[in-house]
Amino acid sequence: MATLIPPSPATETTSPASPAAAEQQKVDYLNMPCPVPYEEIHREAMMSLKPEIFEGLRFDFLKGLNQKFSLSHSVMMGPTEVPQAPELVKIPTAHYEFGANYIDPKLMLFGRVMTDGRVNARLKCDLTENLTLKGTAQLAHEPHMSHGVFHFDYKGSDYRAQLQLGNGALVGASYIQSVTPHLSLGGEVFWAGQHRKSGIGYAARYNTEKMVATAQVASTGMVALGYVQKVSEKVSLASDLMYNYMSRDVTASFGYDCILRQCRLRGKIDSNGVVSSFLEERLSMGLNFLLSAEIDHRKKDYKFGFGLTVGE
Amino acid sequence: MGSKAAAKRKSVKKKAAAKEESAAATKFVKEWSTWAMKKAKVITHYGFIPLVIIIGMNSDPKPSIAQLLSPV
Repeated sequence: MATLIPPSPATETTSPASPAAAEQQKVDYLNMPCPVPYEEIHREAMMSLKPEIFEGLRFDFLKGLNQKFSLSHSVMMGPTEVPQAPELVKIPTAHYEFGANYIDPKLMLFGRVMTDGRVNARLKCDLTENLTLKGTAQLAHEPHMSHGVFHFDYKGSDYRAQLQLGNGALVGASYIQSVTPHLSLGGEVFWAGQHRKSGIGYAARYNTEKMVATAQVASTGMVALGYVQKVSEKVSLASDLMYNYMSRDVTASFGYDCILRQCRLRGKIDSNGVVSSFLEERLSMGLNFLLSAEIDHRKKDYKFGFGLTVGE
Repeated sequence: MGSKAAAKRKSVKKKAAAKEESAAATKFVKEWSTWAMKKAKVITHYGFIPLVIIIGMNSDPKPSIAQLLSPV
């Protein structure tokens, strides 16, 4: 779905619109806006820096049967990477995917099935006004290749709490709280029974109208920092640093995101020598043209893809 | 002294029997829950997309089967 979403930081601010009055108003610490969900803390940086780069041909046809229900048919032809020692091997594959979506304010169901029998299912249900149940599952015919996770989200006035239960005895919880109108802090903890791993992490997000800065640390060794600045109405720049203190691996990337009337262009350059770019152009109502390119100078791996999306 | 030893043996046997019972109970619960999870996985695998289609076809305005099957 190529909807053009402007990357403005989403604060549901309760302060009045005029900037002069906002400056003079004292911060009301009992009336904070609701923060973004914990897993979306890097949302703006992810949207700008990580578009869905693909290789080969992609054709999506989305047919709406009524306001809430739609079917989708996708054809994808291209090489897929199979990690086969000592190097990555690319095998040309082609598959067709059928999908059905049902979108209601209270219930959202999203299902996709591929020709090899894999099913990708997502469910989002509002049990009460503040409690939401979300579930996602990838199911396959092979015995141990399926997994699924359920999330229970509770949204309070200025905090959000989430509990996750997944197969393989995966249990996780996260909590995020708005501390000032611009700053929110959160933490998460998880335990994976099957792999005998557990972890704890903290995150902070500071956003204003024009910029978003995020930081996240986890005991799995990951440190992630991100900064997105909205330079103008149409252009925003983003940069990202990912550091793994266990494996001493650092990646820095810098990218841009231009949203123009007829197209959305995203590009990024990486410290691993990867340059990538993604263009979504609206040729006419309901017809979108996609071009994706990724050049990895270090590994000499070049990926180019093109596609067409028909339907909203 | 003989009766004390016999009483000790009896209590040890009783504890072992109780442990065995609780172990059997947990084993039973585990096996039953694994069976339930396997059935749930198969049902979701084959039934999720038909479920979405049924819910969608019953929402208003009701679309027709021709609209569902035609490629346009």
